[in-house]
Amino acid sequence: MNKKKKTLTAIQPYVWLFPSVLLMVTMIVIPIVSVFRISFSEVGRSGLVKGFNGIQNYLEVFEEPTFWTTLQNTLVWTVVVVGLSTVIGFILAMVLNQEFVGRKIVRAIVIFPWATALIIQSVIWKYIINADYGALNVLLKKIGLIDSFVNWTGTAQSMFAWECWVGIFVTFPFVTFCVLSGLQGIDTSLYEAASVDGAGFWSKLFKLTLPLVGPSLTVSTVLNIIYVFNSFPIVWTISKGAPADQTHTLVTYLYQLSFKDGKSGHAAAVSVIGFVILAILASIYMIMSLRGEEES
Amino acid sequence: MTAKRKTWQKVLLYVFVIVVSVVILYPYFVMFITALKTKNEMYAIDHILPTIWEWSNFTKIWSAAPVLRYFLNSLIVAGGATLLAILCGIPAAYALSRMKFKGKGIFMGAVIMSQMFSPVVLLVGIYKMMVSINLNNSLLGLILLNAAFNQAFAIWLLRGTFVSISPEMEQAAKIDGCGTVRALIKVLLPMALPGIVTTLIFIFINAWNEYTIALTLISTDAFKPITVGINVFYGFNFIQWQYLFATSLCATIPVVVLFLLIEKHLVAGLTAGGVKG
Repeated sequence: MNKKKKTLTAIQPYVWLFPSVLLMVTMIVIPIVSVFRISFSEVGRSGLVKGFNGIQNYLEVFEEPTFWTTLQNTLVWTVVVVGLSTVIGFILAMVLNQEFVGRKIVRAIVIFPWATALIIQSVIWKYIINADYGALNVLLKKIGLIDSFVNWTGTAQSMFAWECWVGIFVTFPFVTFCVLSGLQGIDTSLYEAASVDGAGFWSKLFKLTLPLVGPSLTVSTVLNIIYVFNSFPIVWTISKGAPADQTHTLVTYLYQLSFKDGKSGHAAAVSVIGFVILAILASIYMIMSLRGEEES
Repeated sequence: MTAKRKTWQKVLLYVFVIVVSVVILYPYFVMFITALKTKNEMYAIDHILPTIWEWSNFTKIWSAAPVLRYFLNSLIVAGGATLLAILCGIPAAYALSRMKFKGKGIFMGAVIMSQMFSPVVLLVGIYKMMVSINLNNSLLGLILLNAAFNQAFAIWLLRGTFVSISPEMEQAAKIDGCGTVRALIKVLLPMALPGIVTTLIFIFINAWNEYTIALTLISTDAFKPITVGINVFYGFNFIQWQYLFATSLCATIPVVVLFLLIEKHLVAGLTAGGVKG
């Protein structure tokens, strides 16, 4: 009887975890396994998996120049969007941490891009930058900054730059709020003491603020790297990789391969490559989080 | 001198804040005024504001396309996913915050890892799996996937809330003869309510805004959520921007309001979860 009760207590935590584990294993782990399997298989255009064909899919993907452009784009996209969002978000957080009239309103406004669906943001910006009737052209012409309409997305570079802009637009609020929550935990007397000691703005920034909001900044940066790397709607809505597949990122490229070109094998290989990159990033994050856990 | 400098700083601050606010609000302004333009004025390029304010666009969208159906689908998917994610997340978060067991570290690690993988890199596998179990093109499939991919957030935010509440009250309830489940429901959950509501709303918004999975899995019009459904106004020949934006506004406003309600709680929970585990 007693023994039975003991076993019950021992397995109890696992019973509590079971629903959650079941959900995640069926919906996340099985697709992971499936993606790996498909990437090493020959797949017909209909999506029928025909059999093991080693690393053939990977070799074929590597032969595509588009893949390498895409990989390069993904790197630029992730670094530019996360980097600039972090800088802008950080500066805005510093400003919002000051007392001023209307601070609450500005704080609320900054939430807008974070709360809005990415697809809706993407569609609005696609309209704004439209060359023939876009709102930006109309606005700039009305206030006299341009004489004739500008083709904002005439080249692959300008198209991609606009996509990065939209990426930044939806990403920086998260940084702002992470940093703000870090800043609000700082004792203001530290700053007063530093001022008394004659510390200027920059030395306060680098010696006090940055180290103190460091952990919040790390979380926002790591999470943003992963979100931005995985971000699909912006690029898909605005350019679908056009012109000439020059503006794809890894996720839009794999979507195109799988669901437009009927090359599931190649798409799976690209997924696995993306997956490996993410796994490396995730492990770094996990090690950092668990280390933080031990310290606290 | 310093007084003058202070004034300048204040001016600079206001200029910065106003510029940022204007830039952020610009796309919403465009969405709003475009939603109110008439069909004829849509491509007229010499007016910023509509000359005729076509408020009826907001009533026309409901008959121009099955917009109500899309909204209902979004509501079912987001509501179902939130409920499922919370029902699975509460016991897991409870075990993680109140019990000691082997493999806890590994499980927590796995939870953080799963947070890292957006469904997009797994789309090929997700699609194949959902087709094989006949859940592609169904709301249930979307509910399951959204719940699973938000499970990490649910566990994370809930565990953070539970940890911040002292277990003494539950222990007292147990001494009074309550079982673990009863103590959880009667004592812990009411105290954790703010954290639970934050988690609920956050997952709801995530699922409501989800686009990529729905785009991939749903091909029948009757099962499209609003994020995919708005594509109907996005025809091959011409785009009905006014309806597209009127519908988008209707889909955005409630979510922004919800987000404003939970912002303070949410950010603290997310960063605490990330930094301290």
